[in-house]
Amino acid sequence: MASAVAGSSAAVPFWRAAGMTYITYSNVCASLVRGCLKEPYKSEAATREKVHFAISKWANGKPEKPTIRSDSPEE
Amino acid sequence: MAMTALRREGRRFLLSPIPPNPSTAARSTMLSESTAYEMRWFLIVSLGDDLISGEVPKSNIHRKNHGRSRRSFVFVCSFFVNAGDLSLLGIRSISTQVVRNRMKSVKNIQKITKAMKMVAASKLRAVQLRTENSRGLWQPFTALLGDTPSVDVKKNVIVTITSDKGLCGGINSTSVKISKSLYKLTSGPEKETKYVLLGEKGKVQMVRDSKNSIEMTITEVQKNPVNYTQVSVLADDILKNVEYDALRIIFNKFHSVVSFIPTISTILSPEVVERESESGGKLGDLDSYEIEGGETKAEVLQNLAEFQFSCVLYNAVLENACSELGARMSAMDSSSRNAGEMLDRLTLTYNRTRQASITTELIEIISGASALTG
Repeated sequence: MASAVAGSSAAVPFWRAAGMTYITYSNVCASLVRGCLKEPYKSEAATREKVHFAISKWANGKPEKPTIRSDSPEE
Repeated sequence: MAMTALRREGRRFLLSPIPPNPSTAARSTMLSESTAYEMRWFLIVSLGDDLISGEVPKSNIHRKNHGRSRRSFVFVCSFFVNAGDLSLLGIRSISTQVVRNRMKSVKNIQKITKAMKMVAASKLRAVQLRTENSRGLWQPFTALLGDTPSVDVKKNVIVTITSDKGLCGGINSTSVKISKSLYKLTSGPEKETKYVLLGEKGKVQMVRDSKNSIEMTITEVQKNPVNYTQVSVLADDILKNVEYDALRIIFNKFHSVVSFIPTISTILSPEVVERESESGGKLGDLDSYEIEGGETKAEVLQNLAEFQFSCVLYNAVLENACSELGARMSAMDSSSRNAGEMLDRLTLTYNRTRQASITTELIEIISGASALTG
């Protein structure tokens, strides 16, 4: 999809070329903005960045081992 | 003294039973009736035997009034009478212990369900505020790109949002039911439909019969309070791993504490949006918007589609969380009410049994006394 666009018109944005989706891009920007805050708002905002879930893909009706995305805030 | 009583009762038991004297006080329940009768004739026979064996009446009266020996009579009688009962251990009254245990456990359950209701109510207040604020995220998207569930595409992905914890009424079952019927609706020749399940409860129900159509399952979403970052990472994972023409998100929309409406939100992939807007289909007026910046329409559409999915998913997760809390509140409320009713009924049974056993004892004493003096 990205390559088709690049072939037809102006350059693809750098993040799209790097394989990020718009969502990832906006998350990175958001955490940068949160990092610019002063205390105490900074720690309040840090609580809004916590990510935790366990995702498991299924193949042929069987779940594979779930991977837990419980990393620190998205960066 | 207790041992002689035991031996005596053993002899009595082998004899054929004397038909019971029907003069009785008020006895309502079956249980107390039968056991009270049997207790009574045993005691009468035992007291009669004291007379036959020629014991001095004074010692009889003494034995009758002595708490310990009276207890031994009663102990033995209940041994023979309630064969399968807890009273084997020498409990004094006829099976009020069983009812009392029941009452204690029902009361505990009532306390627990009341506490769960309070907890759900307090959590609901906070989540409801955030949900109402998040509704503004997807409304512009619907105004721009439309929400057309009737679009006909080849690859459908059904994202069902359910809860991880139980005891929340029927909301998970309704979501799963709608997912299954949507699956039937969107399946056909050359079409492919897959499930992505959020939440433990949905996974458990789907695994039973639709194992092969599940693409991904995601659990433990509610461990931290729901925030946009988490949902967007989740949306990113889903987008990267499934191929789709249309994503259909199924969740319970929160209207009020007692009403949750199952809702389907449809998000189309950029190619389908393109197709629909060109052919003068459902999204005809997309072209009337000007696009600023150096991006093409396809580029903009792709960004928009991703962002739309993320926003709609965020709102859906919040609404479902609200509905779950509301459903849990009403479920726990009705179960506390049921527990209260059950407790009332058990209290009545308990009082009746207790009064019946007291009446029985009184009758024994009185009839024994009258047998002596009469």
